Order: sequence, then structure tokens, then C-alpha cells
Amino acid sequence: MSSMGKLNQHQARMAYLFITPTMLLFFAFTVIPVVMALYLSFTNYDVVSRMEFVKLDNYKKLLEDDLFWLSFKNVFFYSVIFVPLNIIISLLLAMLLNFKRFGVRLFRTFNYLPTLTSAVAASTVWIWLLHPEFGLVNNLLSYVGITGPAWLAQTETAMFSIIMVTLWQSVGSNMIIYIAGLQGVPDYLYESAKLDGATAFDRFRYITWPQLRPTTFLVSTMAIIGALQMFDQAFVLTQGGPGNVTKTPVYLIYNQGFNQLKMGYASAQAFVLAVAILIFSFINMRINKSEEPIV
Amino acid sequence: MKKWITMIALVTVVATAAGCAKTTTNNNGNTNANSGTNAQTDNASGNAGGGKAVEITFWGDWAGDGQKQFQTMVDAFNKSQDKIHVKYMLQQDLITKFLTAATSGGAPDVLLWDRWRTPLYAPKNVLHPIDDLVSRDGLNKDDFYGEAMNELSNGDKLYGLPLTVDARALFYNKKLLNDAGVAQPPTTWDELEQAAIKTTKWNGSKLEVAGFSLADNGLFNMYLQQAGGSMLTDDGKKTNFNNEKGLAVLDYWNRMLNDDKVYKVGFEQGLGEGTDAFATGKVAMTYNGPWMLSTYKKYGKDLDFGVVPPPAGPNGDKGGVMGGFGLVIPEASKHQEEAWEFIKWWTANKDNALLWAKTSLNIPGYKPALDDAFFTGDPLWKPFLDTLEFAKTRPAHPGYSVMETEALIPNLQLYQQKKQSAEETLKKAQERGDQQLADNEDVK
Repeated sequence: MSSMGKLNQHQARMAYLFITPTMLLFFAFTVIPVVMALYLSFTNYDVVSRMEFVKLDNYKKLLEDDLFWLSFKNVFFYSVIFVPLNIIISLLLAMLLNFKRFGVRLFRTFNYLPTLTSAVAASTVWIWLLHPEFGLVNNLLSYVGITGPAWLAQTETAMFSIIMVTLWQSVGSNMIIYIAGLQGVPDYLYESAKLDGATAFDRFRYITWPQLRPTTFLVSTMAIIGALQMFDQAFVLTQGGPGNVTKTPVYLIYNQGFNQLKMGYASAQAFVLAVAILIFSFINMRINKSEEPIV
Repeated sequence: MKKWITMIALVTVVATAAGCAKTTTNNNGNTNANSGTNAQTDNASGNAGGGKAVEITFWGDWAGDGQKQFQTMVDAFNKSQDKIHVKYMLQQDLITKFLTAATSGGAPDVLLWDRWRTPLYAPKNVLHPIDDLVSRDGLNKDDFYGEAMNELSNGDKLYGLPLTVDARALFYNKKLLNDAGVAQPPTTWDELEQAAIKTTKWNGSKLEVAGFSLADNGLFNMYLQQAGGSMLTDDGKKTNFNNEKGLAVLDYWNRMLNDDKVYKVGFEQGLGEGTDAFATGKVAMTYNGPWMLSTYKKYGKDLDFGVVPPPAGPNGDKGGVMGGFGLVIPEASKHQEEAWEFIKWWTANKDNALLWAKTSLNIPGYKPALDDAFFTGDPLWKPFLDTLEFAKTRPAHPGYSVMETEALIPNLQLYQQKKQSAEETLKKAQERGDQQLADNEDVK
């Protein structure tokens, strides 16, 4: 008995030893910066000359900052459309490309390729494609007699264009995750369901979807976090314009911190954003949990 | 108990080991870097004929052609004497890098400075005032563009010397104007509007040639001056465009964009160099700076263009916005004296300023260099030099830029797309803008 305990202790010790480097890095580059940022959010830190404790001033100012809340409204609108579409499209693609057929790998690769491009480079190409007069999108539309809008310059279509470009770039990696998930669903479930006379839709509704619950949770959580932190595409495609309809919180944080040197205020904004992300991830977790898998 | 002690000891050992490893690599890196620079210095001083040269660093964010232009000047300076050796270092994220360096060491000795940033940074004591050096060496401040010098000043201190000055002037496509029967390039708002109407070509709902580019809302400042107004009140604390002068600008834009239809929102978005709408004849007239001359000249016969100073407003008021770069010395620099020698050599010497102008096709901030035939003999430079005579720099308020980008321009965009009236636009821009100015006023 005592030798078992010794073995366990030895293993535990080794385990601690092995995770120590990772934990040290985690502390140095994650925990300490987060704690520091929290402290900074109560100061008027400006990187170079001052760091005085100003209590809740930053947060009070934040409450009255209309632009900050507008940027939140913008990313919520973006998330509400982006996250469900992201899940639906990547799941559909995954189911389409999950068959073992000749050439299917090629198509998987094609669908994954946009993910490999850098957000900035891809956005630059999209600016071209979406050009009102010479862009490919409007040229195609003109063949069917539609005068396309100035996608990125008009208030009505700017956010919609960003949603499309980010979807194009993100469904590929989610598709791969879903394919992995689909291949983890045991075949016997489908076989027995078929024997019981379940239709294709029934099989999806009662087997595939519940079995993919953990995958969907992963994909949706990552999508929500990514959506609330959106920056690159909005920065390159529209610079937050026209008329602030594509300004995002991260855009404002960047501007306050690095252009106006208001690091304290920027930290406060970043914390509010972090709390928002936490809340929405939590809600997402509850929604996903409510649908228990059958097996 | 014993085990816990072992654990703690283990962790400490690992931590120290990691720490040691880090320091060692750092030391190695430093040694390498030092030996590298030493080798270079030795080479350079060897070339210049002996002596121990002081190594100073010059940071900028100009890459590509700009980097080559800087290198040309740096090499010329290094050859001209053997006491100081300058090294240009390209920093992509210049301001962020400078901020961290200013507080944690490793600051450069000379810094390329986008002048409008001065009111935000100078009060924080990260830049070294050069008044003493200027008076000691007997430089005449009037040799430089006064507006540019003001932009490099804060309080009553001067923080740098102007390297380049620029202002936008009206580029026009001679062929498109001739074909449309416009004999003379426009000199007033009305002439500009008429010329734009005549040169615009629509094909159904497709805009083929825009008469005049209305892409850049950031030019509001220039139009407002032409209408006789100014962006900020005389005390420089509040916005000053919510009045009949601001309205005049918005009415003019609205007439051109929505009544005359000489432009379409988003027409030039994403058209970079090579597909530039003016170069490819898709825009007949556009405001641009002298930095585009070299690009447009590359097109040769295919692009016959001229430049005129910005047309005057309804009451004959002229307006232009001066911008450009300066060279400054960070307070944290360890070789401020040598840095000053380099800056003085480059920006306050007629021959070198001229060499810089010819190398980079920029207008130097040092006026005596402009008397050279390089400038006086070229009709394309004259309109810019004329514009610079009346052009004003952006108001020196630390919150000015954020006021423009967050309060003014978004509202102007909504106005251009008829989402709100002119009065509402100016009112909202004023409210938000005044708040931005007040929030950002105190930078100490």
C-alpha cells in the first residue's frame, strides 16, 4: 500500500516538473499581463511619463462613451449574423466533403485555402473584388442587369461585406473541425437508426447534431470570441467607416492606446470587452449543454 | 513536508535555470550585435581615414524606395566626416517601438517624426528641445517654413527641424479637360465645378470618368479654409466649423456629388498605385501631394497632366494644408550632440537639402534650397511651392487627429450618403468633436 502511495507521489512530482515550464510561461505572458492590465485600467498610464491611480474614472468615462457602445452594437450585429452562418456553412461543407470519393481531398483543400491567407492580404484582394465599377462582384451582377452597390463605401452594405469576407476566410478551418467530428460519430448508430426506419433528416437531427455537440461548442465559442474581437478586416476593408458602422471595440482600444497614448482608458475598454466575451461564451455554453446527447 | 521542500527547490532550480538561459542568450545576442556594429564602425572609420567614430542610430518607417533615399543621405553624411557614423534602422511600427524604447532604454539618436504628433508627445518630455543648439550654431529660423517650425514646437520650445514639407494641389488631366472643352484649369470653386461637370462621363448607371475626386473627406480642413473658416476657435480649444462656412463646404460637396454627379462614393476605394484612378484617366481632377509626381511622371506620354494650386473659395479665400516630416532627437538618446550634427547637416545646409530633394523628390523644409533650378525650372513644382506660401499646418491640439477621425469624418460620410442633413452633420460633429478635444487636452 505504501509503495503505491510512493509511486503516485513520484508520478505527481514528475508531472509537476513537466508542467512547470509551461506554467512559468503561462504566468509570465498571460497571468501577469492580465493582472497588470487590470491595474492599469485604474490609472492614467500613458506609456512614457505618468501612471497615477485614478480609481474608477476610466470606467465612469466609459459609461458615457457613446462611440464605445456603438462599436459594441456593431460587433453584436456582426456576431448575430456571423456566428450562426459560420456554423451552418462549415457544417454543410463538412457533410458534403465527408464522403470517401475520388477528388474529395482536393475540394477539402480548396475550401481550406482561404484560411491560410493572411487576413490583411486577403482583405486587400477583396477590396478589389468589391470595387463598385471595376470589381468582379459588380461585373458579374451587371450581367444579370443589377447595378451593384459600392459595397464597402455605403453604410447599408459595409458591415454585410465584412461578414461575407470573414466567413469566406473562416469556414475552411471550421469545416476541418466538423469533418473530424463527423468521422468520430460511430457508424452503428446510423445503421440501427436506418433499421428503425429513420429518414436522412431524422438521422441528422437525432444522431449527427447531438453527437457533434462538443464540436459545435468549440466552433461556436471560437467564432464568438473571434467576432467580438474583430479588427483586421474592419481595419483594412473600411477603416471603421462609413459613418462608424464598422467601428469595433478592438479598433477603438487600439486607437486610444497607441494613437492617443491613453493606455489606462484602453485597458478599461479591453476589460469590458473581456467581460462581454466571458458572458457570451458562458451563455453559449449553457445553450449547448441544454441539448444533451442521446448516447 | 520533505517532499514539499523538494518541490519548491525543484521549481526554484528550474526557474533560475530558465532565467539564466534567458540572460545568457541575451548576453550572446548583445555581444554579437555589438561586435557586428563595431566591425561596421571600424570599416567606416577605416574608409574615412582613421579615428574612432561615434555610432548613432536613425529610426524611420520608410521602406522600399524611401529606405534607399535615406540610405543615400546617411552614406553621404558618413563620407563627409569621420567623427560620426550613422546607421539607418527601418522600424515598421515606429511610434510603438519608440515608446517602449523611450522608457526601457535602446532609444534611437535621431527619429523620423510625423510633425503633427508633436503636441501629443512633446509635453511628455520624450523629445529633446533644440533651441540652445539652434542659437549656439547660429541657424536662422526664418530659413525654414514657419508653419513647419510651429508644428515642431510646443510651448516655447523647438523640438526638431523640418525634413520635408508638402501640401495638396489640384492635379488635372490635360487631355480630358481639352476634350471636354475646358481651356484653363480651374482657379475657383465655380470653375472647378463646371470643369468637373464637363469632364464627367456616365454610361448608364456606370461611372466611366469622374470629373473630380471627392474621395478624401479628410480634406474638409482645406475646403473650410477656402470658405474662409478655420477648424478650431482662436484659442485652439473648440471646433469652429458648425457655422455658415462649414455649411458652404457641405453644400458644395453635396452639389458636386448628388446634383452634378461628378463622382460616386467608393469610386477609388482600393485602387492603389498602378491602378490609380487619376493615372488611368478615370478621374479628371484630383487633390494630391508632391509625393505623387514621381508616380505620375512614370506614365510619360500616356498621362499628360498639370498641377495648379487649390482653387479659391466663393470669397476668394485660399486654403491649403501643410504636412510633412521632421527630424527630432529623443530625450533618451545618449549621443544628442552627434545626432544634432547629423540633423543640421541634412536639413539646414543648402547643398544637402538639395541632394535630399533630388534623391527623394520631396520639398525640403529649408527655403534657400528652393532657389535652385531643380525647383524653379520645373513647372510641376511651382504650384506646390505657391500653395505652401499660404498653406497652414493642422491645428496643434493633442486631440486634433482623433477629433477628425472619430467625430468629423464619420459624420461627413453619413452626410455624403444623404443619411443626415448638413445642419445635423455639423452639429453632431461639433458636439462629439468638442468632447474629444476636451478629453484629450491634458497630456502631461
